[in-house]
Amino acid sequence: MRRVLITGVASHWGLELARRLERDPEIDYLAGLDSRPPPGDLERTDYIEADLRSPVISRLLTGTEVDTVVHCGILWYPEPGRPAKALHEINVIGTLQLLAACERTPTLERVVVRGSAAIYGCEASAPQFFTEDLARRLPLRTRFQRDISELEDYFDNFARRHPELVCCMLRFQPEIGPDLATPLVRYLRLPVVPTQLGYDPRVQFLHADDATGALAAAAAAPIRGPVNVAPDGAISLSRMLSLLRRPMLPVPHPLFAPALARLGRELGAGELYGDGVRLLRFGRGVDNRRLREEVGYVPRFDAAAAVRDFAAEVDGRRIAPRLHPGVLVERLIGTR
Amino acid sequence: MAAATEREFPGPEALADFLRSMRLGIEDGLDPLAAAERAAVELPTNLRGAVDTISRRLRGEYYEDEWGFDEELAEATYPLFDFLYSTWWRVEATGVGNVPAHGRALLVANHAGSIFPFDASMMTMAIMKEHPLPRWPRFMVLDWAFELPFLSSFMRRVGGVPAGPHNARRLLESDEMLMVFPEGAKGTGKPFSQRYRLQRFGRGGFVEVALRTGSPIVPVAVVGSEEIYPKLGESRVLARATGAPFVPLTPTFPWLGVLGLVPLPSRWRIEFCDPIDVSAHAPDAAEDRRVVFDLVEQVKETIQDKLYENLVTRGSAFL
Repeated sequence: MRRVLITGVASHWGLELARRLERDPEIDYLAGLDSRPPPGDLERTDYIEADLRSPVISRLLTGTEVDTVVHCGILWYPEPGRPAKALHEINVIGTLQLLAACERTPTLERVVVRGSAAIYGCEASAPQFFTEDLARRLPLRTRFQRDISELEDYFDNFARRHPELVCCMLRFQPEIGPDLATPLVRYLRLPVVPTQLGYDPRVQFLHADDATGALAAAAAAPIRGPVNVAPDGAISLSRMLSLLRRPMLPVPHPLFAPALARLGRELGAGELYGDGVRLLRFGRGVDNRRLREEVGYVPRFDAAAAVRDFAAEVDGRRIAPRLHPGVLVERLIGTR
Repeated sequence: MAAATEREFPGPEALADFLRSMRLGIEDGLDPLAAAERAAVELPTNLRGAVDTISRRLRGEYYEDEWGFDEELAEATYPLFDFLYSTWWRVEATGVGNVPAHGRALLVANHAGSIFPFDASMMTMAIMKEHPLPRWPRFMVLDWAFELPFLSSFMRRVGGVPAGPHNARRLLESDEMLMVFPEGAKGTGKPFSQRYRLQRFGRGGFVEVALRTGSPIVPVAVVGSEEIYPKLGESRVLARATGAPFVPLTPTFPWLGVLGLVPLPSRWRIEFCDPIDVSAHAPDAAEDRRVVFDLVEQVKETIQDKLYENLVTRGSAFL
């Protein structure tokens, strides 16, 4: 029997994981920690209201007597009430406090962190499939990358000092799904999608079901060290937009970020976070063999299938073409 | 005569029928692409196929592998490269049979020319045209070229991969055929007076990868690529401004602008030499510098010898 605590339970992934783990008969106690209540209904999850950044969580964690901690509290982009300036605090300081609390919890056996593949960066000349040992080979260019790298450093040190604990860092590629409100998903749903002129990145978007599945599988499997979480294969952005039936609007790359910010404001899509602009220029592929072979989770959707599924789900809300081609053609050739 | 032209180009009536039928399709609630496909029956057969292909590609219904290689697009470039191969450079390829028809293989060649790896495309054409079992090879491209707009995505689609041991190893492990140019920018950037003199073969990384993956090495000598852009000098200012490893000054570039990018019509010879089997060595031999450097020297000497041989056989560079 296991006792599990999920931090960041109010986030999309925290909530999804809690829902999945609630159905697991192996787990007899489930706790969810966050600074605000989870937006959805949870049946048997014990909600603990606490801010990860405060030292109070040391006492809270010891009291729960959990054996597994799944840290879903790392934010990839600003949210309402959590501005860009607070991200460093939440991500780095929050993780540090959590690790300190873990040190004082004698019942603990396992720590799983939901991190990001952004640590590898996006470069033109990069390996096309990063393996787990290739982190930090490239310059850390964005603030988010530096934060992720810093907290992975702390986590590595923590794992070294506590060899009795199984510590696993999951490096997620960006997710795609109709229910997600991430900047990249909102970007893909724009009626006209700006792209960077002349660049067609290879990307891997993880299907939302696979993202939760991999998280649950990693929480159950005693795997140490970093694990990439990504679909098989890769897909180019241009093919992705064709599958989504979204017209492209290529803009020269220095104008891309401002154009997107402008369009995002107009349409309520918001800006891309720092990693996204480079991702949409150079792309990033990671190797998922560790996930498949060691964690034992085989993604159900490959890179193209994830996009197809997303396209099928959002198809109903497609907007009609403004310039009706039939009308246009009739005018041109002057027939009835 | 009139009938023949009508079969190739649709008359105005056929076009009008096509557009009208497309409009009906759209009014029936089809999206424009599906309507175009349905309306294509109004067109002559040759155009019907083209409409189908285009609309299928616009819908994203094509295959690209995990590296971004798009075989359909690579095939579409075939006529252009075939023209360069047969007419422009009159390539004569020998020893194509030495290229393995199946499984992993590492093709190692001398490097010359410019930013676009024409030598890689001509080697590809030689394999595609003359090999009894043609297959698309992949080629490694200098990192810097992958930063460039348009060129980067084009090269990726036709089989280019950023140069590096991680990519090479993964490609060979998935049993692809890979072309590498160990001279890199030192090979393409050498002055015309140094032509056909092999530069340093990097640090021998290609041999390490071949040993690790147990891939046979096929040395390839390419003659003719040095004359397409004879480099007389280089512009440090332009190189610094563009971030390029070098910017060549040739008799035509940059003086004639874009026209200066037209490669000169030299006569080419490509020789695929006997494969070097590395399976006698254990994969750990990749860490033995002596084994690695011996193999590097062996490959380099083979290519250099074959270069001189083929230069003599070729005779005049342009005629």
